[in-house]
Amino acid sequence: MTRVPLRPLARVLDARAKGENPDRIERENLRKRHEDIRDRARLRAEGRLVVLAGLFFCAFLVVGVRMGAIAASEPAEPRAQAAGAQIAAARADIVDRRGRLLATNLVTHALYAQPPMMVEPERAARELVRIFPDLDEERLLGWFAGDRKFLWIKKKISPEQKQAVFDIGEPGLLFGPREMRLYPNGAIAAHILGGARFGREGVDAAEVIGVAGIEKAFDERLRDPARAGDPLRLTIDLTVQAAVERVLEGGMVMMNAKGATAVLMEARTGEVVALASLPDFDPNDRPRPLTEGDASNSPLFNRAVQGLYELGSTFKIFAVAQALEMGQVNPSTMIDTRGPLTWGKFRIRDFRDYGAQLSVTDVIVKSSNIGTARIAMDIGAERQRAFLAGLGFTEPTAVELVEAPGSKPLLPPNWSEISTMTISYGHGLSASPLHLATAYASLLNGGHKVSPTLVRGAPAARGPRVVSEETSAIARQMLRQVVTRGTASFGDVPGYAVGGKTGTADKPRLKGGGYYEDKVIATFASVFPAHDPRYVLVVTLDEPVETSGREPRRTAGWTAVPVAAEMIRRVAPLLGLKPEIEPLAPTGVTLTSN
Amino acid sequence: MSYLEYNVKWTPTGLAKVLYLNWALLLLLAAAAGIGFLMLTSVAGGDMGRWAEPQMKRFGLGLALMFFVAMVPIWFWRNMAVLAFLVSLALLLAVEFFGETGMGAQRWINLGFMRLQPSELAKITLVMVLAAYYDWLDVNKVSRPLWVLVPVLIVLMPAALTLAQPDLGTALLLLLGGAVLMWLAGVHLFYFLAVGALGVGAVAAVFLSRGTPWQLLKDYQYRRIDTFLDPSSDPLGAGYHITQSKIAFGSGGWTGRGFMEGTQSRLNFLPEKHTDFIFTTLAEEFGFVGASSLLALYVGIIFVSVVSAMRNPDRFGALLTFGIAATFFFYFAVNMSMVMGLAPVVGVPLPLVSYGGSAMLVLLIGFGLVQSAHVHRARSK
Repeated sequence: MTRVPLRPLARVLDARAKGENPDRIERENLRKRHEDIRDRARLRAEGRLVVLAGLFFCAFLVVGVRMGAIAASEPAEPRAQAAGAQIAAARADIVDRRGRLLATNLVTHALYAQPPMMVEPERAARELVRIFPDLDEERLLGWFAGDRKFLWIKKKISPEQKQAVFDIGEPGLLFGPREMRLYPNGAIAAHILGGARFGREGVDAAEVIGVAGIEKAFDERLRDPARAGDPLRLTIDLTVQAAVERVLEGGMVMMNAKGATAVLMEARTGEVVALASLPDFDPNDRPRPLTEGDASNSPLFNRAVQGLYELGSTFKIFAVAQALEMGQVNPSTMIDTRGPLTWGKFRIRDFRDYGAQLSVTDVIVKSSNIGTARIAMDIGAERQRAFLAGLGFTEPTAVELVEAPGSKPLLPPNWSEISTMTISYGHGLSASPLHLATAYASLLNGGHKVSPTLVRGAPAARGPRVVSEETSAIARQMLRQVVTRGTASFGDVPGYAVGGKTGTADKPRLKGGGYYEDKVIATFASVFPAHDPRYVLVVTLDEPVETSGREPRRTAGWTAVPVAAEMIRRVAPLLGLKPEIEPLAPTGVTLTSN
Repeated sequence: MSYLEYNVKWTPTGLAKVLYLNWALLLLLAAAAGIGFLMLTSVAGGDMGRWAEPQMKRFGLGLALMFFVAMVPIWFWRNMAVLAFLVSLALLLAVEFFGETGMGAQRWINLGFMRLQPSELAKITLVMVLAAYYDWLDVNKVSRPLWVLVPVLIVLMPAALTLAQPDLGTALLLLLGGAVLMWLAGVHLFYFLAVGALGVGAVAAVFLSRGTPWQLLKDYQYRRIDTFLDPSSDPLGAGYHITQSKIAFGSGGWTGRGFMEGTQSRLNFLPEKHTDFIFTTLAEEFGFVGASSLLALYVGIIFVSVVSAMRNPDRFGALLTFGIAATFFFYFAVNMSMVMGLAPVVGVPLPLVSYGGSAMLVLLIGFGLVQSAHVHRARSK
């Protein structure tokens, strides 16, 4: 900007010449300058005012548009916004394979208070405590006197309790209908069903959300209003499940085990007929998860699915079946069982010395670690891994429980030759009892892979072949002999031709390396009837000790096998199996006699 | 000697001043207050005595104060600005120590005849002192850092004291009001951008600090923000206000249910129905038409004030009028957006309509200042 001098010399001289007062020129220029400054400040202020006005206008516009939008939404708004109206409470039932109820809904009432409407808060609090002794009068009074407009008192109350509260006659105590999830059979099939809790809660309804097991895995489907009348049908048989749980509980107590699990599966379809894990819980009153300690000791822990254990000698049949399948051995091939077998710094021993050599059948029947390890050495790591992968040991099981995908078997980081040998007799690879049942079913049902399932649906197509019909038959014969003249002699149930393999694995120490001397996982994996494989049963006991003898006995033959035998004795008739006389061994399969 | 003197030609004196009051502004204010009386009668279930009558008395007192303030020359108020500001600061401090507690905050001070909320007073005195400051300050110095720092401190003092009560809503209104004045006074854009960037950082810090030991806001404030972002998350707890007021809006529709027919507000569904949430009653009973009429009244009040300010050659008078108009704007804009779920619930009344003494009186005194500036502005003959 150019600055005009206040007293320009030319004009001052000019004025003087004319005899005017030059001060007038100065005043005039000063005024012009002030006006300039003022105009510029004005202009700038007005520009800023326009910006501000723009912002304000935007705010008005937003408020106005919002007002119009809310006003225009007249018919829908009140209903859509009414608390709880959109909470869908209808949850489909869950039934067993014969349509018997496993989980359903029950309409109860929730009790809530609106303190501003209360007439006699003191009396109401006193009476409430009389009806619900677990409430605290002081706290109730504190709530009623506080400035809360609404509070829940009890989420579920019985009709009798409702009447009693109603009789108090307090207008500030109100009831809302509420559907709750009910498991009429209590703890039976607890781990399969899982449990449910309330989600969003309103005065008129509450959302029920599955928290574990089937309830969570099928949460969307169970909550789908379109399918509310269509119960979810499981493969579980309630009667069989109850019997399995009863026997397993008795066995766990008798064998002094701290935990136990059983899986009963249809050998040809993979349908799980019963699946139990002890200790268990009541899904109607699901306990809280453990906050400290080992989660696997919680009753909520599903040992059959989540428990990953080294399953011991039950694995031997896989090595032998693979060797048979590859034509590497036949049942009477003699295997060197001299021990100990040393490999680098490792030494493999047998439970007892079985002499210089055993037939392949006897390696299974007598359960020789050394013999199995030698067979596995000839198979090799790669092929062993592929075979076990084919049986499902490298992936989590596909069973429809939310807990299943998190339970991937623990494989050796480096599948070395020593791993190959130890895995052949069930050490160095941890899998769940459900994995084992699935693999036994696939191996023994004639050789078709099955996938475990808990939901009754269209029958699945036959899985890919894992072994030939013949290998499967030979394996069953061997397992039958384990029961008739081997380590599982307590497992014989007359009329049902049980075949199976025992496994006793030392438990790994939690801290440091190595294994406990006196803590084992005892497993009996069985198939019945051996000549017509219908069902596979896996029973696993955690830290069993059988104390009837002079010395405490922990091996599966003394612990898991009698429990499994009792279970088969009880459930086989329930499953519709008739006791049969075992047919003679099929021709063409050579059996060794000694 | 101010350049303004060249323009001073004439200002009314004596009783003639009454003729030169801004009568349009007065009518608009009275109309808005009238809507308030109507609504207060309605929420009391037709009982005028409960809220409407005390409110009318206060409005009368407020009008008297407004006339008094308007008759006193504006330059007197300019000279009083610093003193008024200091008094309101002292009251804010006093409320910290002797204040009465209500709704989880210490906000009121008992003057015997009425309970005063000093943070309300601070809104007006802050505008006064800032306007006086920029009137005094050489226009060329406005954007120099040191001369920007002074008004920033002036704004921060009452804002911090209000925040300590704690009253987040009023603190924010004070900050916004101060910012508007500084903007109109011509402070360089750079400062506003910098503060804007800082503000974004602060918001980030507030959210990141949640749950940590150095958490910056109270839990209930976080909950309010949560509820604001998703009101349906807690329809019976913190989201109750908003959900219920939305229902009221929705059921009002375009023309409303009719006077005294509102169910949401009359049946006690709405909390604070006679104070902060009175707008919902209006919306329910008179619908979109009624609600936008009130909005139009407010816009009219602001428009009249701004026109008066733009005609005012006196820098103090113009800035003061702008500042009070802006404060008024923020009042109802924040209240309306809060009620309509556009902003978190911060506890700001609807000006002239909500039941409440301090806010009404202080607002009318503020408009008294606007009137004084209007009356005593230099007029050409």
